Amino acid sequence: VFEREVIIDEGKLEGILSELEMILLESDVAFDVVDEITQKLKDSLVGRRKKIGQKLSDIVIDELKSILKDILDRNRFDFDEFVRNVDKPANILFVGVNGTGKTTTIAKIAKRLTSQGYSVVVAAGDTFRAGAIEQLEEHAKNLGVKIIKHKTGADPAAVIFDAIKHAEAKGIDIVLSDTAGRMHTKKNLIDQLGKIKRVTKPALTIFVDESLAGNDAIERARMFNDAVGIDGSILTKLDADPKGGTAISISYITGKPVLFVGTGQSYDDLEKFSSEWLIGRIFD
Amino acid sequence: MALEALKDVVRKIKSSSSIDKYLVEEIVRDIQRALLRADVNVRHVKQISDAIKKRALSEDVLPTFNVREHIIKIVYEELMRGIGEGLDIPLKKAKIMLVGLQGSGKTTTTAKMAKYFKDKGLKAGVITADTWRPAAYDQLKQLAEAYDIGFYGDKNEKDAVKIVRDGLEKMKDYDIIIIDTAGRHALEEGLINEMIEISRVANPDYKLLVLDAAIGQLASTQAKRFHDAIGIDGIVITKFDGTAKGGGALSAAREIGIPIAFLGTGEKVEDFEKFDPAGFVSRLLGMGDIKALLEKV
Ligand SMILES: Nc1nc2c(ncn2[C@@H]2O[C@H](COP(=O)(O)OP(=O)(O)OP(=O)(O)O)[C@@H](O)[C@H]2O)c(=O)[nH]1
Ligand SMILES: Nc1nc2c(ncn2[C@@H]2O[C@H](COP(=O)(O)OP(=O)(O)OP(=O)(O)O)[C@@H](O)[C@H]2O)c(=O)[nH]1
Ligand SMILES: [Mg+2]
Ligand SMILES: [Mg+2]
Repeated sequence: VFEREVIIDEGKLEGILSELEMILLESDVAFDVVDEITQKLKDSLVGRRKKIGQKLSDIVIDELKSILKDILDRNRFDFDEFVRNVDKPANILFVGVNGTGKTTTIAKIAKRLTSQGYSVVVAAGDTFRAGAIEQLEEHAKNLGVKIIKHKTGADPAAVIFDAIKHAEAKGIDIVLSDTAGRMHTKKNLIDQLGKIKRVTKPALTIFVDESLAGNDAIERARMFNDAVGIDGSILTKLDADPKGGTAISISYITGKPVLFVGTGQSYDDLEKFSSEWLIGRIFD
Repeated sequence: MALEALKDVVRKIKSSSSIDKYLVEEIVRDIQRALLRADVNVRHVKQISDAIKKRALSEDVLPTFNVREHIIKIVYEELMRGIGEGLDIPLKKAKIMLVGLQGSGKTTTTAKMAKYFKDKGLKAGVITADTWRPAAYDQLKQLAEAYDIGFYGDKNEKDAVKIVRDGLEKMKDYDIIIIDTAGRHALEEGLINEMIEISRVANPDYKLLVLDAAIGQLASTQAKRFHDAIGIDGIVITKFDGTAKGGGALSAAREIGIPIAFLGTGEKVEDFEKFDPAGFVSRLLGMGDIKALLEKV
């Protein structure tokens, strides 16, 4: 059968690309990331042959979805499998800028792990913010897990170190370590996280950010990843109805996967992240 | 000679001149990129760029301005359109209620505002009406105690409306009372209703929406819901000490046509400033000192 083909050129793509750029921007994918994704799309599509009758927009959208999937699934690992196989006790450290949901997410993960049969201790490593220790304490009480805490102003590395010692002595599987929220631009505070990592050697360092954030997500993800080193992210507050493009920004910049999303303020409002789900949320 | 000079004083960017037209297009493209990078709502960016294109080509260029300065002045005016230059809260008896999304910085801002007015000589107190977040009470109490600010709360009471009613009764002799409320978002119907009820009972003089400088495209729709529910009088932008530009919060202000009142510039209770529009827009655009530019007029 003889089928006629045409070559895709940049001119034909222009209109579709700018529409897709709009969709991405409105979904809170950072401007610079959208720029780079568009360039990738052009690189892979210009010069490609398509059958007459095949819709160009379908081809472009399929290609875009596959680029996004690649970004979102780089270095993906399964959290449950990780926890199953890791040497115990394992310390999991939570870091991020102010108010993104670190402490609440620790409580949610504690609930998840204890209901899977693991034993958990939480470390009150935010010794800075007013009410931070009491907040984690209340969560621990609600969930029936042990908390290790010092006083406000104490050295957070020492608190977490104590929690690990406690876990070793009592045969507890997982230590979930809270840290104070901090701006990525505050060098001394970022250095402090470096010290916490050196002293407490976390098996996993998780960056917590909120899906409500726009372009700044790439700045802070980059700086936390460069200066502290992260293994994955958790994106909170998806229930407020952002599209979730922040996941794309953060994964693109860090090359690390989003592991979970927070979908509310209750302990059960934590869902495993899936790239298909997010892409569907943006395009369907 | 004199006539020549005069003609030069008020100049238009001639739409017929392809160089000027091209220049305008190019500058507008730069500005669009800056606005989108700063989280200004995509819809607002379109409106603003259309307005710039129209005005840049039709309005007189001030003698001291080049084309770029001419356009930046227009951008400044368009960005601030309908939201004024700030919000002045006079130094007299007032009740202020803070509302906003989870983790935006309400509790910290409650303490910051109380200290701000206390430093100006008013008797300032705070009420914690957040009965949801674990240890919300302790957080505000510790901040209030550290700064010698009046505090009211009831750890065992789950009814936020009752706490506010009792607190206002107890704090009758205070000049400024700031009410901290739980974090909530537009889709949490129950919490939105609670906020409406608190607002009705407290009858605040100012209802301020606290927004994180990093908030993205969702800012306008969220703000609209809060505004429809209780009527917002001003916005406080927090966490301005990072790299976020605050374009989301600005879009929220534009969306509902209300001013930005204060900026939070750090975790400490002292880190609090009145909103300065020229400084804000300079930072948002990353295009030099707009204050100096406006003073050239
Ligand atoms: N709606 C919603 N709220 C959330 C979610 N995760 C956390 N929150 C709320 O966000 C607010 C801040 O959460 P925290 O856990 O205190 O955040 P944090 O990162 O520990 O804050 P700092 O320690 O102050 O930096 C709280 O009111 C939480 O209930 C979520 O997935 N959805
Ligand atoms: N760097 C910085 N941090 C801030 C600023 N304002 C507040 N924060 C921090 O942001 C986090 C959240 O602040 P909160 O005051 O607890 O926020 P909230 O809106 O009361 O939170 P919920 O009651 O859970 O909704 C805390 O870690 C604060 O220290 C600011 O201007 N700059
Ligand atoms: Mg915390
Ligand atoms: Mg609060």
